[in-house]
Amino acid sequence: MNVPVISARDLWKIYDHNAALRGAGMEIARGEVVALIGKSGSGKTTLLNLLAGLDSPSRGTIEVEGQNLERLGEKGRTLLRRNRLGFVFQFFNLLPTLTVFENVYLSLELAGISSPENAREALAKLGLGGKERRYPHELSGGEQQRVAIARALVKKPALILADEPTGNLDTTTGRQILEILTTRCRESDMSLLMVSHSPTATGFADRVLSMIDGVIVAADTGGAPMHGPAPGR
Amino acid sequence: MNFVMGTVTKSFLRYLVRRKSLTLLQLMGIAFGVAAALGMGLSALSALASFTGAIEFLQGKSTHTLERHAGPLNEQILKEIMHDPAVHSFAPVIDRRLRYGDGASIRLLGIDPFLDSAIRPELSRRSITGAPHRDAREGMSFLIDARAVLMEANIAAALGLAAGGRLRTSHGEIEVIGTFPNPSGEPLLLMDIAHAQEIFLLPGRIDRIDLILTDEEGFLSRWRQGFRIRSNRQNHDTLRAMLGAFRINLEALSLMALFVAVFLIYNTTMFAVVSRRRDAGILRSLGAGRGEVVLAFMTEILILGLAGGALGSVMGYLLSRFLSGIIAGTVSNLYFFLHPLPLPWSFRMLGAGILLGCGASILGSIYPLVELARTDPVKSLSGRAMNRRGGPAARKAAAIGLGITLMSASLFLLPDGSIYIAFGALFGMVFGLSLMTGYAVVVCTPPIRAALTCLGGIPGKIAAGNIRRNLGRTAIAVAAFMVALSLSIGMALMIGSFRESLVWWMSGQLRGDLYISTATDKEVPEGFYFELLEMRDIAGVDAYRKVQITYRNKPMFVAAVNAPVLQRHTRFAWLAGGDEHWEAVKRGAVIVSESFARNFTIGPGDAITLEGRNGPAELRVEAVFYDYSTEHGLVMMDRHTYLKLFADSTINSVAVFLEPDHPRRRQTLDLVRQRAGAYDLPVFTREEFFGNILAIFDSTFAITRSMRIMAIIIAFFGIAGALMTLFIERQNELGILRALGFSTGQVSLMTLLEAVGMGLMSFLLSAGVGTLFAVVLIRVINLRSFHWTIFFHPHLSPYLVVAATAVLASLGAALYPIFMVLRTYPQMQIRAE
Repeated sequence: MNVPVISARDLWKIYDHNAALRGAGMEIARGEVVALIGKSGSGKTTLLNLLAGLDSPSRGTIEVEGQNLERLGEKGRTLLRRNRLGFVFQFFNLLPTLTVFENVYLSLELAGISSPENAREALAKLGLGGKERRYPHELSGGEQQRVAIARALVKKPALILADEPTGNLDTTTGRQILEILTTRCRESDMSLLMVSHSPTATGFADRVLSMIDGVIVAADTGGAPMHGPAPGR
Repeated sequence: MNFVMGTVTKSFLRYLVRRKSLTLLQLMGIAFGVAAALGMGLSALSALASFTGAIEFLQGKSTHTLERHAGPLNEQILKEIMHDPAVHSFAPVIDRRLRYGDGASIRLLGIDPFLDSAIRPELSRRSITGAPHRDAREGMSFLIDARAVLMEANIAAALGLAAGGRLRTSHGEIEVIGTFPNPSGEPLLLMDIAHAQEIFLLPGRIDRIDLILTDEEGFLSRWRQGFRIRSNRQNHDTLRAMLGAFRINLEALSLMALFVAVFLIYNTTMFAVVSRRRDAGILRSLGAGRGEVVLAFMTEILILGLAGGALGSVMGYLLSRFLSGIIAGTVSNLYFFLHPLPLPWSFRMLGAGILLGCGASILGSIYPLVELARTDPVKSLSGRAMNRRGGPAARKAAAIGLGITLMSASLFLLPDGSIYIAFGALFGMVFGLSLMTGYAVVVCTPPIRAALTCLGGIPGKIAAGNIRRNLGRTAIAVAAFMVALSLSIGMALMIGSFRESLVWWMSGQLRGDLYISTATDKEVPEGFYFELLEMRDIAGVDAYRKVQITYRNKPMFVAAVNAPVLQRHTRFAWLAGGDEHWEAVKRGAVIVSESFARNFTIGPGDAITLEGRNGPAELRVEAVFYDYSTEHGLVMMDRHTYLKLFADSTINSVAVFLEPDHPRRRQTLDLVRQRAGAYDLPVFTREEFFGNILAIFDSTFAITRSMRIMAIIIAFFGIAGALMTLFIERQNELGILRALGFSTGQVSLMTLLEAVGMGLMSFLLSAGVGTLFAVVLIRVINLRSFHWTIFFHPHLSPYLVVAATAVLASLGAALYPIFMVLRTYPQMQIRAE
């Protein structure tokens, strides 16, 4: 039986008596591309942060490749992000003082892979060959996002988490980015969870989920919520 | 891991190049702080090295000195010394000073070149043989010619004198017959002792005997009574002790400048942390650990500390060369002659500067590093503002600050009057008050907003809001500036109060119409004193003698005065009682200065024992009086008591008193001047004498002026840094302002008013803190350092000067940010990130 790449059950995240997540749950299989859509403030980014181990749920469990995030501890979660997870952000989040090449290579270095050729190859595959020495501010938005995708892909993680990857791009560029991202993931058998408020992403996904007020609703299953009981009840 | 550290560190370090202006500001702040601390330390070391070098050079091979407790020795004693079994070698010495040129001072050592050959072989050999290859006649010149001297090579070169040259001095013209090297660098003249006795009017007398003893205990047992015998170690320690309080205060001053620099480092480091938060969040999301991010940032801090410290070491070295002259001048005026020997540059200074710079950088970065380690990557990636510390954090800091301030203040109440505890408490108070600055800024914002709105309309209003909203940035800059301005106000108030107290004291105690030979090295011949006593129309003549002796192993001074004259003509400032105390003094009691009373815990009715020519003598203390002539303490007695105790008829100076309404006042004064002129004695009116004292007083505080200026320069960088960081951080906000229709001029005005607002707040806070600082300096620090009371005389002028400084510094700090606004604002847009 295949272990899902990521599995979340009954996730709650409460800030100052407001619940950003209300018992959300989901699973992503290896190589699967999932789109999670929802309006601003519905809890999508909160979920991504929990799945990446950057934040802790108020209640619920998350397992990445069978490992319970909570039990891993801070060090374990750091190693997980380093080796098994990739991140693509809405605002690219490239380090402004590093070149294009250095931004991508950093990902490999953190994973303990000292292979500059891999970084160059990743950039070339994304059409950024020849731009290795440029700095982020010298690139267009689309180019910056491609660098971010290269950074995420280069270490061949089990799962890539993409938070509004096209949110800061025009429609045409956005579609190009989604095409690149999903194609590369499928080629490398990497799972991808894309979070977006734009329905365009759904066309590129194997499965679409919806987030409504902290609850994940499977879009294919007619709106049945995917959550557990609330804490304290 | 090293590779990873490499790229992570690289990503941080490149900000240093990207944000050149901020990097430069931080660098300069560290450099100035290190320069202030190192400059002061090096100049003090230089003074000490000079002092140690000079002593060692002059001591030669001697092990001990023998002198009277007061006054010169009769040279007949040499016959007995010669036969003492414990004496291996001995040499009589006259050790005096001459003035030349514009009042410059030079030491003259009168030696017997033959006896001195055992003590100072190089010098004595030089004196007999003169320059190499000279003939016997010239070689004997030192012994034969009454005005012949050998001059130390450096001063000879400085004065352009060679063999055959002549120099006019306070004791007549001297002829330089040759030069000699002096490794200590102190200006020095050598003269045959017999000729020295002539020019200093010391027939048959010498100042001391330098000895090489083989049996110290045996010698002491035979010679202890009536003489002061000290080992070289004791002499050295006594001189060091005289500088004690002076040095501590100087060191504290330089530490204050470093303290301000640490604030500045904290400010710019905090900004760097804030601007790195997003990067730190990205790195954490990519899998970098907390430790890796913190270490990378610490590398950046240490590089700044290294570069700033290195630059500061060079600046500090240059500053020390300037300060050592001032310190030496002050020490020479107040304590004993000191010629500075600037320390040569060495790489140890570079090392010290780097150590200081890195240390200060780490100290100022502790809290920002903790903040960075605790960075929540979620918040930092979302761009949610953690960097703008609001009211709650400021209140918390204020509460902690209040606690520290009160605890520090309580230390002043400890019975142990340690000066180190007092300084520690002072620093604690300053630190505590600095922590309260954030809350004070919040409280001050409404009136500042009103002021800035009045000055600049809407830009002014926004400026006030910006200061309040960006507390994490502005509060530290305001705190650093406040500390520097408070230092300035506090020192100015203290110095002003001291000056007023000094003037009050002089007005009461120094009421002579003429002062003859005061503060010079020329003694007044007894014959002239008797002449004055016989002059009609003179109401009183006070013969003043002051000599340094040791009491309970500490240096202090004994002064002889004419008690009846002072009783009649002066208004002594008594701690208790009045002029009735003079009656007891006339009968043999003594009065002691406040410094003496505090230093030795002696009060009226107590007895003190002084070593006189006939052994220990007990003297009753009649009263205590205010005195600022020496912090080591002064015991004053009538001249008759002094003569009985020490048989020393030396007169250092004379004060002449006339009746105020005497009809021939002017003629009498002219006659006195004429008579004094015959002895080549300088004469000063009371006003001139006061002026000389105040000139010395003012020069004493030249160093504190330098340090105050350094502190303000450092704080200036703080304000400039804060403004630059506000400008950099608010690019998006400025884009919005532009979109709303704000002109470049309005935004420039806003930037200017932010600076003025911060300067104004700094000044307002410093007015209170500075006054408190002054009170502590006067009532605690000065009292514990120098054991005298300074009366607080508040003046408006320090506040006005500091207000002007605050405004000017703020305006200056705003220049570069305004330049950046003018250059970049017209192109600014609203950006999402």
